[in-house]
Amino acid sequence: MPHVVTGNCLGCRYTECVSVCPVECFHFDDTMNYIDPDVCIDCGGCIPACPVNAIYDSYNLPEEEMRWEAINQERSKELPVLSAPIDPLPGADEKKRELGL
Amino acid sequence: MKSKTVIGACPQDCPDTCSMLVKVENDRVVSVRGNPEQPFTAGRLCAKVNNYQDRVYSEDRVLHPLRRTGPKGSGKFERISWDQALEEITERWKQLIAEHGASCILPYSYLGTQGIINGLNVGDPFFNRLGATISERSFCDSGSSTAYEMTIGHTAGTDPESFTRSKYIILWACNPLSTNSHHWPFIDKARKSGAKLVVIDPYRSRTARLADWHLAIQPGTDGALALAMINVIINEGLIDRDYIDRYTLGFEELRERVQQYPPAKVAEITGIPCDDIVQLAREYASTSPAVIRIGVALERHAGGGQAVRSISCLPALIGAWRQPGGGLLQLSIWPFPVNWGHLMRPEFIGGSPCVRNVWQLGQTLTESRDNDAGNRTSIKSLFVYNSNPVIMVPEQERVIRGLEREDLFTVVSDHFVTDTAIYADIVLPATTQVEQEDIMFSWGHLYLSYNNRSIDPLGEAVSNTELFRRLAKSMNFEDPYFYRSDEQMILEAVDWDSPLLKHTSLEELKQEGFVRLGLPKPDEYAPHAQGNFPTPSGKCEFRSTIAEQGNFVIPLFRQGYAGQQLGDSVDPLPHYIEPVQSQQATPELFAKYPLKILSPKSHTFISSSFGNLTQQMRQAGEQHVILNPVDAQSRNIQEGEIVTVSSPVGSYQAISRISEDILPGVVVSPVGYWRFSSQFTSTVQAVNPSKFADLGAAPTFSDVLVQVEATNLE
Ligand code: SF4
Ligand code: SF4
Ligand code: SF4
Repeated sequence: MPHVVTGNCLGCRYTECVSVCPVECFHFDDTMNYIDPDVCIDCGGCIPACPVNAIYDSYNLPEEEMRWEAINQERSKELPVLSAPIDPLPGADEKKRELGL
Repeated sequence: MKSKTVIGACPQDCPDTCSMLVKVENDRVVSVRGNPEQPFTAGRLCAKVNNYQDRVYSEDRVLHPLRRTGPKGSGKFERISWDQALEEITERWKQLIAEHGASCILPYSYLGTQGIINGLNVGDPFFNRLGATISERSFCDSGSSTAYEMTIGHTAGTDPESFTRSKYIILWACNPLSTNSHHWPFIDKARKSGAKLVVIDPYRSRTARLADWHLAIQPGTDGALALAMINVIINEGLIDRDYIDRYTLGFEELRERVQQYPPAKVAEITGIPCDDIVQLAREYASTSPAVIRIGVALERHAGGGQAVRSISCLPALIGAWRQPGGGLLQLSIWPFPVNWGHLMRPEFIGGSPCVRNVWQLGQTLTESRDNDAGNRTSIKSLFVYNSNPVIMVPEQERVIRGLEREDLFTVVSDHFVTDTAIYADIVLPATTQVEQEDIMFSWGHLYLSYNNRSIDPLGEAVSNTELFRRLAKSMNFEDPYFYRSDEQMILEAVDWDSPLLKHTSLEELKQEGFVRLGLPKPDEYAPHAQGNFPTPSGKCEFRSTIAEQGNFVIPLFRQGYAGQQLGDSVDPLPHYIEPVQSQQATPELFAKYPLKILSPKSHTFISSSFGNLTQQMRQAGEQHVILNPVDAQSRNIQEGEIVTVSSPVGSYQAISRISEDILPGVVVSPVGYWRFSSQFTSTVQAVNPSKFADLGAAPTFSDVLVQVEATNLE
């Protein structure tokens, strides 16, 4: 039961998570990142790296975020892998402020 | 709210020894995470330890001493005080010593916690002084350590951080993504700079999936592959003649010896095509720097020691040691300036002690043997800490029969009532890492680490150091050595004057949490560029000068005791020893038990640690056995079915998983599941025998034949 990216990533995509991930399991589209659960080794490194607290160990996933488990599983398989950090999406910093982070 | 972050270090028996940030709120640990400052462990932990607070605060923690009230194994205990527990233990021991001699007491431990003061050797001075039987702990890397000592000596070998410079990396019998995951980024970085990654493993592990080339070798035949590589390298003139002349011993004899292992013959033994063997040897010898990382699995078959010896010869033959990022990595523990002798105190051992090997616990507890003096000795008391032998030791049913003995007085110190502790007369509460102070070596990187205590011990739990202070007092030991504070023990555990710690004080270490030993930078560090092997000749010994002493286990694994070694004779030149169980060696056995079994470490347990915790169990899934589709089909076994795995030693049940990841004729079943927490009772150690490999009393868990059958559920 690996790590999962949740809705806080939507529209910001800082990709700090990608710099710390040892196994290239982040995949991306125009809105956010997704973790490939078959590749993630559960090192936990991406959780504190994400500036908007978007990542959870699926074991600690809050009830209301559960749906993201299936979304990560599905989307990561269809999308290209992100092997190095890219620029955040426009508006990322505003979003971070909105989230009070 | 009072909140603080404390720098700790992971205590598990894992090469990574991660620097860990422990977050404490109102004297309660709320989370742990990796320390981003530590260059090797780099802000990550792992699937075992991410939620360490759940271990600390588990409802199942033992927090007070317990005394058994029902039959052995019934799980019926009552709470008693520490004074009662200590009195009961030491009174029993005094009686037993008067009646049978102190050798009837056997300490049993390993690395359930791996700190220098609370780990491997914490009980050794006490039991050496007591005169108890010596526990020969050849659990892990013992065969390799003996093989290493016979070949290149106790060296850290290649710095794991230097791997970024390597151009050819062979991971031989190891799966770092599961068991050494913080090394992976260094390997990955090398790959991204063009290195080729080769994985040699019968199983397509997580790591093998990411390799450029995965060679699925038949279990137990690695030694033959290494010898065939040497054959090709020498016969094709791919050697570094200058390095060989200056820094090795016995080259001509090795040349002659490996003529017995031409690649065509070895292809039949290993299942690896002849062309692939030749290609592997050529690429390895001609791509510089080339490095080999070997795993513990390598030593776990009849010829495991010689396999490690053969592989240890390879880097010197091609001069791989000349450059940073070339050579061989196994255990990086040796350079740590630990005062091992002061931790073990072998001089406390009087006369001629008895020695028992940990892997043979079943046998030790179920039969009595003669000691040197001709006296019948049998173990009347067992003191277990830092270990869970029912899950980790072969002949599981026999171990349990031993533990059920009414006349055996068993004491277990642990965090939980484990599958072993359930048979104890007295259970003692042990602290977890956040409740204790320690200084840590690593066997997978070159940083000394410090674990600051984060919270007070829960309940009446005590650290192992405190446990042995209390036992010493109850036994009226006078030597002030037994009453040193943790602070004093930490100061004395390490040689602070060593040039390797030149720029570090204990205070600084406590604050930083880690310090790299004072060795050259990874980019520049080539420990054996000019030989300097810690062997008797100072050279890489193809022909071992110490082989004539015969087989032995290094004293570090024997409470410092060097006497009464196995001593069986050892051929001084590397050679191939066939598996003891195979179609050729044991055709009758093979007729009934035609599958080879491997029992590797799981991704979410460390040995048996965490095998009882919800998160790790959820991720590991039920105890399972992986079969190739060919073997499943011929047995009419479907995916997800309950199957029975059996050998002449015993049997257990597991859920079938069917996958091409394993070779036909081989099955894989990870170790670490608890009997309590599985829907089945017995676990994989039920089928493993307690036979030793050729060197260092290593086990032979990769040299076992079994049958797998659909379970007949009435
Ligand atoms: S760091 Fe966080 S917000 Fe940024 S891409 Fe990764 S998960 Fe999304
Ligand atoms: S937990 Fe580790 S392996 Fe998994 S996605 Fe995060 S950084 Fe990558
Ligand atoms: S078990 Fe190993 S990888 Fe996991 S946190 Fe501990 S030292 Fe690090």
